Amino acid sequence: MIKTTNLTKIYQTDEVETTALNEVNIEIKEGEFVSVMGPSGCGKSTLLNVLGMIDNPTSGEYYFNGEEVGHLPERKRSNVRKHNLGFVFQSFNLIDELTVFENVELPMLYTKVPSAERKTRVEELLEGMNIMHRRNHFPQQLSGGQQQRVAVARAIVNRPKLILADEPTGNLDSANGDEVMKILSELNASGTTILMVTHSQYCAEFGNLIIRMLDGQVVTENVVKQYL
Amino acid sequence: MVGNYFKVTVRNLLKNKLFSITNIAGLGIGIACCLLILLFVNYEMSYEKWNPYADRIYRPHMDINFGGSVMTAAVAGAPIAPDAAAELPEIENWCRFRDYGSYLVRVEGTGISNFSEDAILTVDSTFFDLFPVKLLAGDKRTALTLPNTLVMSKSQALKYFGTVDQAMGKVLILENEEPWEVKGVYENIPPSTHFKADFLLSMNGNEEVANAPPLWAANNNFHTYLLLKEGTDGKIFEEKFDALSKQKMEETSSQLLGMTLAEFEATGQYARYGVQKMKDIHLHSDLQVELEPNGSFKYVLIFSAIALFVLLIACINFMNLTTAKSTQRSKEIGIRKVLGSNRQKLISQFFSETFIMTFLSVLLALSLAAIAMPWFNELTTRDISIPWTNASFWLVLIGGMIVVSLVAGSYPAIFLSSFDPIQSLQPARSKQGKHGRLRSSLVVFQFAIAITLIIGTMLIYNQLQFIQSKKLGFNKEQVIVIDDAYALEGNLNAFKQKILQEPTVSSATISSYLPIPSSRSNTTYSQSREFRQDHALNMQRWLVDHDYLNTIGMTIKEGRYFDRAFPTDSQAVILNEAAIKILGYTNPVGKKIYGLTGNLQGPPAPDDFIEYHIVGIVEDFHFESLRETIGPLGMFLGRSAGRLAIRYQAADSKNLLKTIEDSWNGMAPDQPFSYQFMDESFGRMYLAERRIGSIAMIFSILAIFVSCLGLFGLASFITEQRTKEIGIRKVLGASISGVVALLSKDFLKLVLISMVIAIPFAWWAMNNWLQDFAYRTNFKWQIFVLAGILALAIAFLTISFQSIKAALINPVDSIKSE
Repeated sequence: MIKTTNLTKIYQTDEVETTALNEVNIEIKEGEFVSVMGPSGCGKSTLLNVLGMIDNPTSGEYYFNGEEVGHLPERKRSNVRKHNLGFVFQSFNLIDELTVFENVELPMLYTKVPSAERKTRVEELLEGMNIMHRRNHFPQQLSGGQQQRVAVARAIVNRPKLILADEPTGNLDSANGDEVMKILSELNASGTTILMVTHSQYCAEFGNLIIRMLDGQVVTENVVKQYL
Repeated sequence: MVGNYFKVTVRNLLKNKLFSITNIAGLGIGIACCLLILLFVNYEMSYEKWNPYADRIYRPHMDINFGGSVMTAAVAGAPIAPDAAAELPEIENWCRFRDYGSYLVRVEGTGISNFSEDAILTVDSTFFDLFPVKLLAGDKRTALTLPNTLVMSKSQALKYFGTVDQAMGKVLILENEEPWEVKGVYENIPPSTHFKADFLLSMNGNEEVANAPPLWAANNNFHTYLLLKEGTDGKIFEEKFDALSKQKMEETSSQLLGMTLAEFEATGQYARYGVQKMKDIHLHSDLQVELEPNGSFKYVLIFSAIALFVLLIACINFMNLTTAKSTQRSKEIGIRKVLGSNRQKLISQFFSETFIMTFLSVLLALSLAAIAMPWFNELTTRDISIPWTNASFWLVLIGGMIVVSLVAGSYPAIFLSSFDPIQSLQPARSKQGKHGRLRSSLVVFQFAIAITLIIGTMLIYNQLQFIQSKKLGFNKEQVIVIDDAYALEGNLNAFKQKILQEPTVSSATISSYLPIPSSRSNTTYSQSREFRQDHALNMQRWLVDHDYLNTIGMTIKEGRYFDRAFPTDSQAVILNEAAIKILGYTNPVGKKIYGLTGNLQGPPAPDDFIEYHIVGIVEDFHFESLRETIGPLGMFLGRSAGRLAIRYQAADSKNLLKTIEDSWNGMAPDQPFSYQFMDESFGRMYLAERRIGSIAMIFSILAIFVSCLGLFGLASFITEQRTKEIGIRKVLGASISGVVALLSKDFLKLVLISMVIAIPFAWWAMNNWLQDFAYRTNFKWQIFVLAGILALAIAFLTISFQSIKAALINPVDSIKSE
């Protein structure tokens, strides 16, 4: 599903040049659950952003489903993004002015899902996440765990092929963190590919492959469990 | 999707109340200003539009420079219309107006007192062919054909007779003696007409027309209208009229002066007639002897520019506030982009937001405009209303709303939608950079406009002050002027004597001629008993009595004033310095000038002249507005019973006025009593300037207010962004005043830059405006400094509210803010 060749990202600020990704070559197959680990500043998030198509690589190629997407213009990228990808962030990133229901519904507005179907899908998901009773609340009225569940619901509502999660448990206590990991595992079990950046070994082991990074390069790839 | 935009917009508005209020109020005020001014401009442009023939009607006007006087007036001699119609086949019909000023009017056979009416015109019977006002009673073909018949407007018919039908066939007594029969009643003439006419008197039987000399350049008292045949080319007609005028002037020159027109013009003098389109009269005609004060295209432009500026300031506010608030919106923008929104979608989202805000502002603007309308009408002396039921008004309004949304919304939409999703999702980062600079330039632009308006206002008031305090050559203070004094008839002198017995009254004079808007007439005099262009003195002829000088307070420079001890003074004249200059006399007292008797029918014989000896020279005094230079003037002993001017010495004029009114009522019980204070009437000559002053002041206050709203909003967001910095500085030992200075400094710098831009611009613009005045104030540097200090102070006050608030926050809280 994902293949990169010599993927490089260099940040240029005035006089300082920072290499965030240095010729990264990875491959992720459909249905995998990949965890990315490494110390702060090693390039995990940059990798996630580039693979999530919200950032362009400086050089190298990025193939998504066989198509080179690393150098597409923003218009085309946003089109690929909205139909194929779902994002979960450490800080949830819900829109404060929208209710729980509206936040989850939002991606479907961009993919032009008919109104009746939007309603069904949102309600199904909220039911499944056990936050249906909070559907008319605003994000700031929810606990962290609830917010992240809304964010996960929003990420999967368009049934993306790939979910990109940037430290999804980073702002949560262990119980809520477990809850979110459980949901991600279930999604993976039902066929969704997941790429997750995390600091936690415990969380990383929910995946079947752990990529470790240092200074913008992939150091090791450990297979945790093999799918049969 | 639109529903989603709408929801987010409304919730955002409610969440940031201060931001919403400043934004909507600022834009609302800007739109309200624009709305009022556009309605005013529309009204000014609508003059004569009610008249279907307006495009085909032309008005001859005179342009004469002769004997030291320049007359560029909206009037022409009586024979011009019939002559032109006989010579030029393009003319289908014509009509002349003669305006004799105000009349005393009452209904015959009733005991009801006189009214003083001033909208009375004597017109040819063709009036309704050129000005097709609907006749409610009477026959337009015959209504004005007979002598001593009149038609009146509906409102006057109701005032005098109660109903339209009652008025027909009744007789009105004018000036206490002339009977005029009512032969028709017409619908009120629309106010968007360059003249007012409540009564139209038949020209038939008018002695002035009957005795009019056949020469064009004499007796220029008639406002004349020529209706051209359909399809006539106006340009060609103008040329043909000019040619005819030249031919007629040639005749006049050879008959009166015994020289060719070319010889006459070689002396630097000229006499010519031209025509102007009736549609151009209201906004483009600035002639002497107009029927009503006209509007001015220049002021229409100035007002439009000011309105546009205020609107622009409001739009800039909107841009500044919206982009300054971007840090708060950046997360939403990031998420929307990550979720698949592209830039176009975001742009349309922000435009829809702007549109909703603009819509709310327009609602506010409509209410503000409706509330301000009566006051605005008073200011502009117009009768404007908001055309609620007019479809094109709403179309223009919606169009305007879209334009304002595009102007105000474009920059924020492009700016906000350009956010990089990664950056926008990172916690609060300052996004100043180049957009901060653009915002600063916009603030500079706003304040430059506001400061220009402040300077403009100050200079206008300075000029008005200058006019009020200028040495005028007479004393306008403490003089009461009684109007329509002729109504006292035989009692006028007795009335004067009675008033003089009042201890507070020092003198009184009977004359129609006063250095306030009053009767004027130019007459030609000669240095010899022949009519020669190089001997001519064309000057104002004022009829005065023996007490005139004492009462009005001019100064005799040489010789003496009229004196009862000299019976020969009836043939004496007192000239002003300007007249002497034209005559070129070195020792003028005792010298002679000659005036013509009666009407000129051809070259005058020596016996046609009357001799006047010069007994005194009066120092030049400003008898016209200070827009004009002082022209030649001669005072003659004579009776002109238009007004009685009374000089008094009392702090309180109330009791005196009461006494005067009582005496009046005793001597002329049925005549209307009206008076004015000379200084106030003098001030009224500058009504247009006062109006400009008031409008400029109001708009500068609004411009400053709206700019400050923007500054206030901007300061609150910048302060919010710098909260952490403020906390750290305070922890490190910064004082409150230090923090306030830190936050204010950047803004005040912008205001200073605005001043540098505004001052030369204001100087240039106001210098242009002052050119209208023959006598004008100097530019005082103090005005510029004062305007600058004012702008700085207002800006500082606006910012200090936010910066003091920020400086007072407990440092721990500010540091925690990120």
